[in-house]
Amino acid sequence: MSDIHYSKLRFLIADDFSNFRATVNAMLAKLGVYQVDMASNGADVLEKCQRKPYDVILCDYDLGPGKNGQQVLEELRFKGLISRRSLFVLVSADAAKDVVMAAYDCEPDDYLMKPINARMLEQRVSRLLRQRHVLSGVYTALDADDRRRAMSILIDLSITDNRHARVAQKMLGEIFIAEGELAKAEKLYTKVLEVRPVDWARLGLARVKHLKGELDVAGNWLEKIVQENPLYLPAYDVLASNWEQMGHNQQVQATVQRSVAISPKSILRQKRLAQVAERNGDFGTSLQALRSTVRLGELSCHACPEDGFQFARIAAASVEKRLHPPESLVREVVEVMSSTRERFTLSREQLTRAELLTARMLAHSGQTEQARSLMEVTEAQLRRGDEVSLDVNLERVQALQALGEHAQAEALLHNLLQRYAYDQSALEKLDTLLAEPVSETNRALIATVNREGIDLYNQARFDEAIECFEKVRRIFPRHVGVHLNIVQSLIGKLRAGHKDEQTIGTTERALATIGSLIESDHSQYARFQRLQDMATASMVR
Amino acid sequence: MTKPNNSVDFSLVLASSVHDMKNSIGMLVASLESFIEEFPPANDRQSKHFNTLHYEASRINAELVQLLTIYRMQNDHLPLRVDQHYVIDVLEDQLARNHSLLEGRNIHPRLECDDSLEWFFDADLIGSVVQNVIVNCSRYTRGQLLVKATVENDFLRVSVADDGGGYPPNMLESPSIFVNSAEVNEGNTHLGLYFAEEIARLHKQKNRIGYIRLENGAPLGGGCFNLFLP
Repeated sequence: MSDIHYSKLRFLIADDFSNFRATVNAMLAKLGVYQVDMASNGADVLEKCQRKPYDVILCDYDLGPGKNGQQVLEELRFKGLISRRSLFVLVSADAAKDVVMAAYDCEPDDYLMKPINARMLEQRVSRLLRQRHVLSGVYTALDADDRRRAMSILIDLSITDNRHARVAQKMLGEIFIAEGELAKAEKLYTKVLEVRPVDWARLGLARVKHLKGELDVAGNWLEKIVQENPLYLPAYDVLASNWEQMGHNQQVQATVQRSVAISPKSILRQKRLAQVAERNGDFGTSLQALRSTVRLGELSCHACPEDGFQFARIAAASVEKRLHPPESLVREVVEVMSSTRERFTLSREQLTRAELLTARMLAHSGQTEQARSLMEVTEAQLRRGDEVSLDVNLERVQALQALGEHAQAEALLHNLLQRYAYDQSALEKLDTLLAEPVSETNRALIATVNREGIDLYNQARFDEAIECFEKVRRIFPRHVGVHLNIVQSLIGKLRAGHKDEQTIGTTERALATIGSLIESDHSQYARFQRLQDMATASMVR
Repeated sequence: MTKPNNSVDFSLVLASSVHDMKNSIGMLVASLESFIEEFPPANDRQSKHFNTLHYEASRINAELVQLLTIYRMQNDHLPLRVDQHYVIDVLEDQLARNHSLLEGRNIHPRLECDDSLEWFFDADLIGSVVQNVIVNCSRYTRGQLLVKATVENDFLRVSVADDGGGYPPNMLESPSIFVNSAEVNEGNTHLGLYFAEEIARLHKQKNRIGYIRLENGAPLGGGCFNLFLP
């Protein structure tokens, strides 16, 4: 251990407990370390790291109020405040599952359980420093963007250096994959796996298969990895991407959900979950994930104003779909909108969106007066200002609809349809607010799905037909034709003898929804009435 | 056996106080160690006192860690993080953790382990098992302590041996059943062995499961604790 010159090394000790800082400082002093800085909270660590680089950061997980050790590490990396040469050691007294998983998830260079003593600290730190020394040539090459050289040093190390072969192989695999050298990566992982079935190499190999487009093979392997080691989080991330590429949206969600259950403090996983759940029409899950995202965002560098807006949007949509009573959600939305305004410097446009979302939510909860006056102020501003962006206008239409201002909402929509007549991506966004889609993509989608669904219906495969139509209904909740198709399939099911309570209930709810969407002058009104009668008749046991 | 409806979950209260106690004891041991360093014992009597303080504090600490771990094990809050580790790192850590305890008792431990031996296990959990056994040995040994790791029949075998009087015969037969028996009332719970066995059993590979075995005699003439991990 004499090869380490402690006097040249800079240390940072972070703990909210001054007693502990002093103890660790005394331990370091005995090793000959004298360049030591102290930090008592997360913000302090970030500030100190911004001022100068440290060789070793010993950071407690629990740093009192504010960011914890994991969030600090995330932010240091996110803002590029530590290089790959800085060693970040997470210290913790808590072995509770969520703390351990959070620590594990952010991959510090090492993890130390309290209590620690001088000799232990020396042992751990010297091991890390020796490894850093062995890899320093690789770091220099990587800093200079010379991957060839980094690879050749790593290949050397993985053959000759017994002690550091594993870390060299891991890094090498990552670089091979990043460089697109899939054949080399595959060879490396296969060689490692010949000796022992280690998870990182199994994951590496599965990633190679995934990248080569062998999605079935990759999926099987990944599923096996998480079955045998359910806490191995990176495997879920790759597995979710794999399902994504296969187009199985439900499986994507299920996989992300599993990883969130293991590491609920990971804001990025919560965000991903919210997104995939929304796409799947699972607003309940999406809302819950967004709620967690907003809460975790309070102390995370990965927070952004969109998190709050997204929460408000999904909350309003859940109320509109009658998934949630508005009373409990309205206060939450108002709070989230105001904390978003406090936390971030919002642009003019974002401020307007916050107000529109609040008005929409207030309207749903029956606080019409407040909603109306908020809307008036916002409308006045919008009329005064420059051209209003599409995103703002989309919120505007929905706020007007919530207030029952249907004529105004329709007029605005009509206006927008003309303005964006040649902008397909804008039309796709507008489709979600319209009874019938206008964009070519969405029209084609509806046509295809309808054809598929009707085929299934004709073969008396009612459940599959319903699932097929549901796909469209989730995207175009106001599309009457699709709703009617669903009801017709449900009736088919009832007539085939499936008169269970669930089917009857679903049919009744579906009819009620359609009733709220159409007036008697609607072109499909007669069909609606016919289906209503048929449904009533076929519900009789 | 009935409990009032409004009572808080006692095991939860216990677990959270144990957690606090563990942290306090941790600080106490650390302070004690720096105190001894600063004021080395002037005579045998003082040194004896220091040793008692140190041993008992370490024992409480180890027991509290066990309690908490068992609580978490039963409530499914115990994450088992099996990863690839250099065995020597984990064993060195435990000897380092107890360095000053051992030194105070004039015990000079030996570590026999191949530098590049790697295995799969949860380092924190296995570390705390080894730590308990070391603390226990420090009391019964006459001065020698050997920590050794080898591979036998594709199991990792970690042994902690001393030259003391060895384990009592009834423990050799079935180390952990005492937890449920009358011995609990006599204050001798063998909680440590129960803990070790449970942790060992959490480690599985295919259809092979980890286990512990107690022996007397070899290699130092005293007791020998063996942990086998697949």
